[in-house]
Amino acid sequence: MNPEIYVLWAAVIATLAVYSILYRENPVSRLFEHVFVGLSAGYMLAITWTQNLEGRWWNPMVHQRLWYWIFAPVVGALFYLIYSRRLVWLARLVMGLFFGTAAGTFFREFFPLYSPQLYRSFKPLVASRSVGWGEVILHNWIFVVILFTVMSYFFFSIPHEGRAGRVLARTSLLGRWFLMIAFGAMFGNTVMARLSLFIGRVQYLLYDWIGRYVPWVLHRGM
Amino acid sequence: MEQRPPSDLWQRLQQVPRHYIYLLLSGVIVWQLLAPIRLPILPSPPTRGVYDAIRAVPAGKLIVISTDWDASTQAETGPQTRAVLEACFQAGKPFALMNLASPMGAKLGNDIAVEVGKEYHAEYGMVWCNWGYKAGFTNVLLAMARNIPKTMGQDFYGKPVAALHMMQKVRTIRDVGLVIEITGLANMTEAWVGLIQGPYRIPFAAAYTAVMAPGYYQFLDSGQLEGMLVGAKGAAEMESLVNRPGAGTAIMSAQSWAHVLIIALIIFGNLGFVLTRAREKGRER
Repeated sequence: MNPEIYVLWAAVIATLAVYSILYRENPVSRLFEHVFVGLSAGYMLAITWTQNLEGRWWNPMVHQRLWYWIFAPVVGALFYLIYSRRLVWLARLVMGLFFGTAAGTFFREFFPLYSPQLYRSFKPLVASRSVGWGEVILHNWIFVVILFTVMSYFFFSIPHEGRAGRVLARTSLLGRWFLMIAFGAMFGNTVMARLSLFIGRVQYLLYDWIGRYVPWVLHRGM
Repeated sequence: MEQRPPSDLWQRLQQVPRHYIYLLLSGVIVWQLLAPIRLPILPSPPTRGVYDAIRAVPAGKLIVISTDWDASTQAETGPQTRAVLEACFQAGKPFALMNLASPMGAKLGNDIAVEVGKEYHAEYGMVWCNWGYKAGFTNVLLAMARNIPKTMGQDFYGKPVAALHMMQKVRTIRDVGLVIEITGLANMTEAWVGLIQGPYRIPFAAAYTAVMAPGYYQFLDSGQLEGMLVGAKGAAEMESLVNRPGAGTAIMSAQSWAHVLIIALIIFGNLGFVLTRAREKGRER
């Protein structure tokens, strides 16, 4: 028998087992959840070895006799000294090294990442030769109004009392409304994403599984 | 205290058992997958941006496509990857696949490239290649900016990257004309933009799952992203641009009608709530 059939049936059983949770919590769904997690972890280990460690560490050390690579796992293993009271300082050494590298990389990332967004927030609010009033009002004014009202919502240093406080209360209320609209749009996208994933599985069950035995189904989907 | 069963239609509308909603939703999806009512798919400016960026890559430069996704988002990222690869093959632009996170993406992306490559008679190593999964993420990006063949070492099949024909003139990130990140993971774009797009001015585009896409519109507005594919919708739009309707297009007709059902259920549920409350207030008076 074609081995693809086994793969197909395994995928179908796994899909139906995992989706059985929609009816109620059950041991079959849990079992397949654990199988999925185990498979992912195992795959991660295997591919880290074949695509990274074997070529970059094992082969140079064993086949090219670059013996000093033996120290790489020794340094890595220092992390585990966190469990030793006497030698914990060695674990702190490697952790410090990693924290320093991560902080340095983040610092390097920060300005190229956020500065273009900051200076693109400074938009013209009056029409010019290159930008018409329509675009200025539709894009730039709406952008700036939303930017300031949302920022005012997160401005907690002034109490909402007195004249200035009352103005701040109104702008922050408006900012809250804009935030709610944004969250609604995000949630709408989340619904779309979850549905796409479900439709993808239904496509598999319909076209790949049922369609294999009932060609009419496959024909209808094309 | 035992809950009393709903007495009338409006109360019942607010308490529809979820199993019925799941069944109804599944029914609508199966109906649309078997007898689709196709709605027009009009490519949005962010999708067109990705398409135009691919076509604008200068001759002699490479496109790097990072397939950082796995089976859990395959319904969205799979069709996105296929449509992007179709666009590259149609435009005759050489590309290299790579993977920095979610290592399943190295294999899943490779499978799609092999399949699509056959349709275009594209030979591995000449028009496209796969650098495989490289652990280290930001360190890989920092290193590949200076020396791509040395950083990548071996490709997905275990061959030296430097020995591939299409890699003969590729040395540093300056030989890359466009980076496309296809992912369902946060922080990938931040690293690419902060370490590659910003410092080296390499054009960058992305394809995201619909869940995470709203968080990246500011990158589009600031010009850091050339374009963006949003979930299955983005995949369907890209399929229409390359004139190859596929899984993304099929998902969208089912998706549209499922959305109609969800909107109708929200309206009915809220109508039931409002009318029940209005009647209770009337009784109190």
